[in-house]
Amino acid sequence: MIYLDYSATTPVSYEVFDTISKVTKEFVGNANSINALGRKSANLLESATKQIADILNINVSEITYTSGATEANNMALIGVAMKYHKMGKHIIVSKLEHPSIYAICDYLKSIGFSIDYVNNDSEGLIDFDDLKGKIREDTILVSICAVNSETGVRQPLKMIRQIIKKENAKTLLHSDMTQAIGKVPVNFHDVDLASMSAHKIFGPKGIGFLYKSSMVNIAPILYGSGKTNALNPGTPPLPLIAALSKALRLALNDLEKKERFVNLLNEKVVNNLSKYPNILINKTKYSIPHILNISIMDIMPEVFINALDKYEVYLSTNTACSSGEVSHSIMAIYDDLKRAKHTLRISLSYATTTDEINKFLNIFSEVYDSLKIVK
Amino acid sequence: MEKIIILKYAELSTKKANINFFLKTLKNNIDSSLMWDHTINYDRGRMFIIVSEDNIDKTIDVLSYIFGIHEIVIGFIDEDRDFNTITKNVLDLIKTQEFKTFKVETKRSDKDYPLDSMEVSKTLGGIILKNKECKVDVHNPEITIHIEIRKDAILYYTNGIPGLGGYPVGTLGKGLLMLSGGIDSPVAGYLTIKRGVKLSALYFESPPHTSEEAKNKVIKLARILSKYNPNMTLYVINFTKIQEAILRNIPYEYLITIMRRMMYRIAERIAKSENSKIIVNGESIGQVASQTLTSMSVINNVVDMPVIRPVACFDKLEIIDIAKKIKTFDISTLPYEDCCTVFVPEHPVINPELSKCLEYEKLIPYEELINEAISKKQVIKIKEEEKQFEDIL
Repeated sequence: MIYLDYSATTPVSYEVFDTISKVTKEFVGNANSINALGRKSANLLESATKQIADILNINVSEITYTSGATEANNMALIGVAMKYHKMGKHIIVSKLEHPSIYAICDYLKSIGFSIDYVNNDSEGLIDFDDLKGKIREDTILVSICAVNSETGVRQPLKMIRQIIKKENAKTLLHSDMTQAIGKVPVNFHDVDLASMSAHKIFGPKGIGFLYKSSMVNIAPILYGSGKTNALNPGTPPLPLIAALSKALRLALNDLEKKERFVNLLNEKVVNNLSKYPNILINKTKYSIPHILNISIMDIMPEVFINALDKYEVYLSTNTACSSGEVSHSIMAIYDDLKRAKHTLRISLSYATTTDEINKFLNIFSEVYDSLKIVK
Repeated sequence: MEKIIILKYAELSTKKANINFFLKTLKNNIDSSLMWDHTINYDRGRMFIIVSEDNIDKTIDVLSYIFGIHEIVIGFIDEDRDFNTITKNVLDLIKTQEFKTFKVETKRSDKDYPLDSMEVSKTLGGIILKNKECKVDVHNPEITIHIEIRKDAILYYTNGIPGLGGYPVGTLGKGLLMLSGGIDSPVAGYLTIKRGVKLSALYFESPPHTSEEAKNKVIKLARILSKYNPNMTLYVINFTKIQEAILRNIPYEYLITIMRRMMYRIAERIAKSENSKIIVNGESIGQVASQTLTSMSVINNVVDMPVIRPVACFDKLEIIDIAKKIKTFDISTLPYEDCCTVFVPEHPVINPELSKCLEYEKLIPYEELINEAISKKQVIKIKEEEKQFEDIL
């Protein structure tokens, strides 16, 4: 098997799996209980959260566990909207967001909020002047992902924050950091709110968290009891939380070294695929090496992916969450409908081997030739 | 250009003969706190730390908990000593800094360098003025741009962040802190550590009258203190039998006085067993009945070593300010009862008499009980305790 869909999800690493199984077996108490078993669980919960906070240089109280990034995005956007609707009902998002952001915006629109979409340049970078121009007195939130899930384009959040705060100091910045964390360095202090998910960093599915700066208040979207967190009450899923903490620690070990390695793999693929006359490489100077998007202009991407299945080679068309549609990120960057309809996303990780890449390129060539003949 | 962390020493410059011992201790303390690759060099004026770029923020965070440092500065070293490069580096350095007034200060340890210090400062000052809207102020500048011309390289740095001050932990010997879950004792501990004393801590529990959560709270306080005072040991004494014996046999108004005398006796024995020279606690004059001068003197009477009370003369609000600053306040105010608060007489004696204490104490076999409590003490190494979930996380 050659797995090149790491940006859709990753397998759970052995070490993390070990944590899940150990904690499931050995920590049966409810972290909200005051008996000895509950305290044992609460201690582990506290240590796991502290580890995350220490690694990311944030405070323990700024972490709210969620089922993943989509839930964190909901908490952030709806939570800000509900808290600050009296100050304004204007929200700005980029054209390079994860589909969940657009779905939430559609909901907010339906209850009276107005949504603006900030432009980007031909490299995928947020158009700073456009952003400046769109921020109004009633803009309560800007949401811009740290790394676009289809093209890997990375945004300079620090600069974006400076622009926003200069125009309107009260406007909050949220960032979906799901595709950035564990791949490239991130700084949570560049934003007010951020979302992430464990299953993109060799952790389990079903867990992620919302970062909310202690300087910011938002309205809860969930109500219940339990002492651990006001935004997400109820019994914390300890095995998943411990696993998230461990996955994050492992992911951030030697981050730069891993990034350099992935960059070598990326260059190898780019060099090879650039030789195909009908393949366009959708890579800009801001793309991180882990996500490589291409457009095969003379073959439909679904067909290509189906053909690769036979060889046990797995990749995506655009993002797993919007498969089968036109890639709106490619549209936003290249404004070319055909190019946007023909995308394939090859996503790499430090677990990818050079050998896998060599095999993949051979299989790719074989599949391409066979499909070209059919055509 | 390579980043370098420069430390300026706190009060150490007043130590003449034994400054090397202070500096070596400071270096060792930093060494054992940095869990990643690093190089430390020092002279009598400053300490230099080199870590990889990734670890600079983490290193500064660690250094901000180490006593003996007056200022932490991030500098840059460049082997290229060409004046054009110096100009370029200085302009790069000030690009991200916001200031309206500045001065350039040049030191030249390499006297063969073609320009002298004054010329370098003057020329660079002129260039900065051309490139940035700002003024020179040699007396009270917002930032000072330091250039050091050495034989091998040029060192550049501007303003740093303040360090904690104080003496390196361990330079003034050892002490034992009586640590409760309250607000005062962690502050007393912090202030003692600041003066270079390496502390262990002693906690009295009284299960089932006191809860496991109360003990956990003290462990958390010890964890915070151990950031300043690495490798801290926490002794936990089970005080239940002694406390129950006191409750059953001794007049209620003397309960606290006798209890404190028992605690002091235990503290002294543990302190001596680990070569601690002092007992430290969070008593503050007049705060509660056991902290009147008469009470203190009657209680102090059972020990034969100095008892340091760093917050004795602080108002509660002053103590709270420090507790908030060192982040023990939120833990201290968690609502779990400890030994001293679980049984409190309605009218405790405020002027206890020593003769009565001696008389009452004859009613309980305290030597035996104290020996038993000490032999069953629990020893918690905070560093290891913090790693209890290491295999899981």
